[in-house]
Amino acid sequence: MSAKCNALVCLGTGCQSGGAEEVLSSLKEEIDRLSLGETVQVKQTGCHGFCQRGPLVVIEPEGIFYSKVSLDDVSEIAKSLLPGEPPVDRLFYREPATDTPLPHYMEIPFYSKQQRTILRNCGHIDPEEIEEYLAAGGYQTIKKVLLGMSREEVIDEIKRSGLRGLGGAGFPTGRKWEVCYKAQGPKKYVICNGDEGDPGAFQDRSVMEGTPHSVLEGMMIAAYAIGAQQGYIYVRAEYPLAVKRLRIAISQAKQKGFLGKDILGSGFDFKIALFQGAGAFVCGEETALIASVEGFRGMPRLRPPFPAESGMEGKPTIIDNVKTLASIPVIIDQGAESFARVGTEKSKGTVVFALTGKVENNGLIEVPMGMTLREIIFDIGGGIPDGKTFKAVQTGGPSGGCLPESALDMPVDFDSLKAAGSMMGSGGLVVMDEDTCMVDLARYFLDFTQRESCGQCTPCRLGTKQLFDILNDITKGQGRPEDIDLLLEISEAVSTHSLCALGKTAPNPVITTIRYFRDEYEAHINEKRCPTGVCGMLET
Amino acid sequence: MSKVTLTIDGLDVEAEKETTILRAALDNDIYIPHLCYHPELSPSGICRLCMVNADGEVVMSCQTPVDQGMVVKTKDPEIDRLRRTSIEILVANHHASCRGCPGSGPCALQKIMAYIRIDRKRVRRLRLPEEDLPKDQSNPYFDYDPNHCVLCNICVQTCEKIQGALHVIGRGIRTQIAFYGNNADCQSCMECVARCPVGALTAKESRSTHG
Repeated sequence: MSAKCNALVCLGTGCQSGGAEEVLSSLKEEIDRLSLGETVQVKQTGCHGFCQRGPLVVIEPEGIFYSKVSLDDVSEIAKSLLPGEPPVDRLFYREPATDTPLPHYMEIPFYSKQQRTILRNCGHIDPEEIEEYLAAGGYQTIKKVLLGMSREEVIDEIKRSGLRGLGGAGFPTGRKWEVCYKAQGPKKYVICNGDEGDPGAFQDRSVMEGTPHSVLEGMMIAAYAIGAQQGYIYVRAEYPLAVKRLRIAISQAKQKGFLGKDILGSGFDFKIALFQGAGAFVCGEETALIASVEGFRGMPRLRPPFPAESGMEGKPTIIDNVKTLASIPVIIDQGAESFARVGTEKSKGTVVFALTGKVENNGLIEVPMGMTLREIIFDIGGGIPDGKTFKAVQTGGPSGGCLPESALDMPVDFDSLKAAGSMMGSGGLVVMDEDTCMVDLARYFLDFTQRESCGQCTPCRLGTKQLFDILNDITKGQGRPEDIDLLLEISEAVSTHSLCALGKTAPNPVITTIRYFRDEYEAHINEKRCPTGVCGMLET
Repeated sequence: MSKVTLTIDGLDVEAEKETTILRAALDNDIYIPHLCYHPELSPSGICRLCMVNADGEVVMSCQTPVDQGMVVKTKDPEIDRLRRTSIEILVANHHASCRGCPGSGPCALQKIMAYIRIDRKRVRRLRLPEEDLPKDQSNPYFDYDPNHCVLCNICVQTCEKIQGALHVIGRGIRTQIAFYGNNADCQSCMECVARCPVGALTAKESRSTHG
């Protein structure tokens, strides 16, 4: 092993649940016991990405990758760090088809096909140490902005980059900022939307946990551009580690003078407060989120006015997703043109997905916009486990559509996903294999949305409940011949008339499963048969 | 305030510039189905029933301001189709029959059902609620029957300006109006009962309405 190295232990939520904290403390003890403290630095990091293989330990600078590390493996890893010792090859990742060991993570297709921009620090630096972020070039862009760019130049840069909001709607970020910049008023707000409530999604959590300072830096740049003095990070209380690391990051940024009064002597004042959400899915909707921060029941409000003109306390407010904000320093650093070279014509840059479900490699990934679903699922994801076949993929969370095999070669970007009946959403990507019943799946997602509807508007409150009840009947063998048409009719009413995006998108799983898997509905209704055997039917 | 002229269902209508289409129509005795609109409250836009066709686009009339020369149609086949489903869902979830309902007569839902000529056969395609919900009789002056409630929010918005004693609780299908266990805040002004467009809030029989 080389003279000086870092042993990085992933302490993302996934690896922690696998015992990574114990691995970290035990590895530290072993390194001390072997008197290697001078040459080996043992550090915690945020999510490295390959959650399914956790706990992960990475030896840098070589990039040696140990997966599924347990306490029993620690002493061997420590010994391998002695001068002249070979690495522990039994802990290497092995190529599933050939059993070939791949010692370095950049050789593993899960990593090599990715392009990590938003996640560039995730898994590489200790998220609880601002010094590490600074050493990685952190807070250089806020310096560049405060000391050398006008507010108009910043907005122009973001506009030219083509960045679109990564929280779901894909609205051009620069245009939103411009509206807020032009809105009159001495008081404005920047809000970071970290209310990630989709089942199976962990991309925003991983960014907040793995590189919290990137989020703060993005917020600072946004605040400078629009003229805000106060920022809020709205984060779910169910994300204790993200809360803890953001708290630490805010306090360290304050100590270093990146937050507070007269930042870097520029005359710019900016503070950030943390606000913990209480678990309502609808609070991820921007107007409901604002209501929640204001102390009201989290219910969406009519738009217009849009928050950029009248948001928090009626003041102009920018509300951006975690990943959108974490992209801002990248754009300022690389320049808009360089950023815009990645991606498709109308969707620029990269996109972070939480890749889950019936796929060999589960984890946190980042790919350029325009990569096909097939590359994501089969190259990065390693395909479907246990020799099963692919059936469908759902993108965009519980309100996303379920796309079949025929959609696999579609490039993933905002517009193509929407055209296929799904959406980018916040970046959930759930893979289903042949054993999944599509009617039961639609029922599952509608059960979620009907429970999480804020109950305010008629089509969403009652329409999603009707959809759920009908789907429930169908899965129990009690479907009626007219139910498929009825589902589509209600879906249209709910998606066209609901007040907010929760209702407008909630029928997507129903519409797409009928569009692409209608025969399964017909089998349930007409033959009282579940083709996959998932639904317990009355007769077979 | 300046005035504009628009056409609603072929009729020339004069309205103040900031007025919504719904208000301009109602002021001219042109009915558009609605539940959550009240002339003294700001539009909440939550019943999603007051859609019209304005210059070729389907919009919510309570949210859309009038414009000079605007051509509004309050009914056409597309509006009828989209609105009918929402109303049928509302009726299917309305646990109660009209017989014996204290709201019957001036009831806004009855009016809408008559207006669209509700087809009970179509409503029966839908799934009906399994059980009736218990009434809230905790207030000394009036009762709340969630089975009759259409959650128009008029009572909550009304009380917000007076006492703030009424609240929305729960989520999804379990959403209800409630006192949050704090009846003492109620000053028994009975304005909520007076404005309830259906039979959800009703005065207790033994009390005078200004008790």
